[in-house]
Amino acid sequence: MNPLELTLGIMTAVGGFVDISELVFAAQAGSSFHYALIWVFAFATVGMMVLGEMSGRVAAIAKQPVFNLMRHRLGLKLGLVTLLASLVSNLITCAAEVGGIAIILHLLTGAGYRLMAVASVVVLIATIWVLPFKWIERAYGLLGLFMIVFAIALVKIDPPWTEIAKGFVPQVPHGLSDKELVTFAYFTVAIISAVLFPYEAYFYSSGAIEEEWGRKDILTNRVTCTVGFALGSLLAISILANAAQLFGPAHIDPQLPGSAALEVALPLGRTGLLLALLGMLFAVAGAAVETCLANAYSVAQFFGWAWGRHKKPWEAPRFTIAWIVLMLVALGIVLAGVDPMKLVEYAILFSILVLPLTYLPLLLLARDRHFMRDHRNGLLANLLGWAFFVVILIAAVAAIPLFILTSGGQT
Amino acid sequence: MKPSGQINLIGGLLDLPILDRNGLYCGVVDDIELDDRGGSAPQVTHLLVGPGAYRGRLPGWAVWLVARIAGTDVTRVPWDAIERIDSSVTLNDAAEAFGLARTEDRFRAFIPKWGAM
Repeated sequence: MNPLELTLGIMTAVGGFVDISELVFAAQAGSSFHYALIWVFAFATVGMMVLGEMSGRVAAIAKQPVFNLMRHRLGLKLGLVTLLASLVSNLITCAAEVGGIAIILHLLTGAGYRLMAVASVVVLIATIWVLPFKWIERAYGLLGLFMIVFAIALVKIDPPWTEIAKGFVPQVPHGLSDKELVTFAYFTVAIISAVLFPYEAYFYSSGAIEEEWGRKDILTNRVTCTVGFALGSLLAISILANAAQLFGPAHIDPQLPGSAALEVALPLGRTGLLLALLGMLFAVAGAAVETCLANAYSVAQFFGWAWGRHKKPWEAPRFTIAWIVLMLVALGIVLAGVDPMKLVEYAILFSILVLPLTYLPLLLLARDRHFMRDHRNGLLANLLGWAFFVVILIAAVAAIPLFILTSGGQT
Repeated sequence: MKPSGQINLIGGLLDLPILDRNGLYCGVVDDIELDDRGGSAPQVTHLLVGPGAYRGRLPGWAVWLVARIAGTDVTRVPWDAIERIDSSVTLNDAAEAFGLARTEDRFRAFIPKWGAM
């Protein structure tokens, strides 16, 4: 295990953890329910660690990414249903990320929202075209580390740390009205969906193939998933705790991503605000790249096309056309005038519906003796994996009724 | 596993990704062609590769949809061309030798060959 590679991998995982949905929902969760939803972030992050580790391990040992083996495992019909559902879910998520970038760039420059959406997609396409996979992943992940300013801001405002620590204990706050209880349940489902987005499993396992992982990388995979995701989750929890401390008492509902940046502006001033916006920009841009590539990976792997950004774009032509077209469709959705915050809500809803289809084949593969041999799931991994799968199933069943009852989490 | 060994065609072969001798992804085992020898057990003669082979495995609307996304090509790869079967099927020659690179080559013409590291 190369310590430099490992450190860079962890830092990339930290910087790349937060995306537009986590930004919005963490701030809203903190403002509406103070620290009572911290445990959901922590719980979902453990799920992401377990399932992320499995997808990296399957890629390293079976030498195939999740989607390649999904069709073999689920069969052509269910595989196609999974492909179509994840395409829709990832496309909406990608559009939400592009909309988020445009909002942040609008805040940074004052230029028009639509113009910034077009400019951001041009830069994203250029980045994916020019840079090889490892550089794409590292560049956005490491620049996303500006998000640490949210943790610094939290330390600066010196919140009630005991209350924050209590937030890690699973709870439903006392004294909520029926309407507030339903909203609390919706936020619980939304946070699970935002942390466990299906594109993350596709991107992570395909990335492992791009970087030619093998048995020697099993430990790197485990450490990156546990330490990297845990530290990344702490950034999301910092956003929630800042919002609880600053927005909650003022009854501010931070529905826009820009609101989250104000959490930093109050204690750290103009420089803090700039760093927060830059961190958000790169974190969300990284997520846009990941969702777009994850979609292209899925299509290419399902149909058996040459794929990967470790190849030159012309060495995998159909894959290249796929990611360019998918990025342009995401831009088209933004330019059509769909409210980016509505896109975030739809992304959350569609993702939770797709999650069971994403993780079922992964759980089946990770315990498969034929593919995984001595690296198949042990008792603990199986137990945790299936326990989280049951949680995901319950969340998926509850998602649509909760979405309707709360009008998409309106508090 | 070598193709001469026992293999479960549905659980161990169908829908596996195919790699050529150089490690290039060049398709998926979309169907299998059998030679019915009238009385004796049928023999697998070819792998069918390409979305054109989905007909019969998917409902009509899905075949139509896949045709819009991925076309209707189908290529027959001889059983003897298989080098190894594990989590993928590895062929004993380059994709071009079996006609599995034709579609990629067709699309390659549309991609500029500059600017990438």
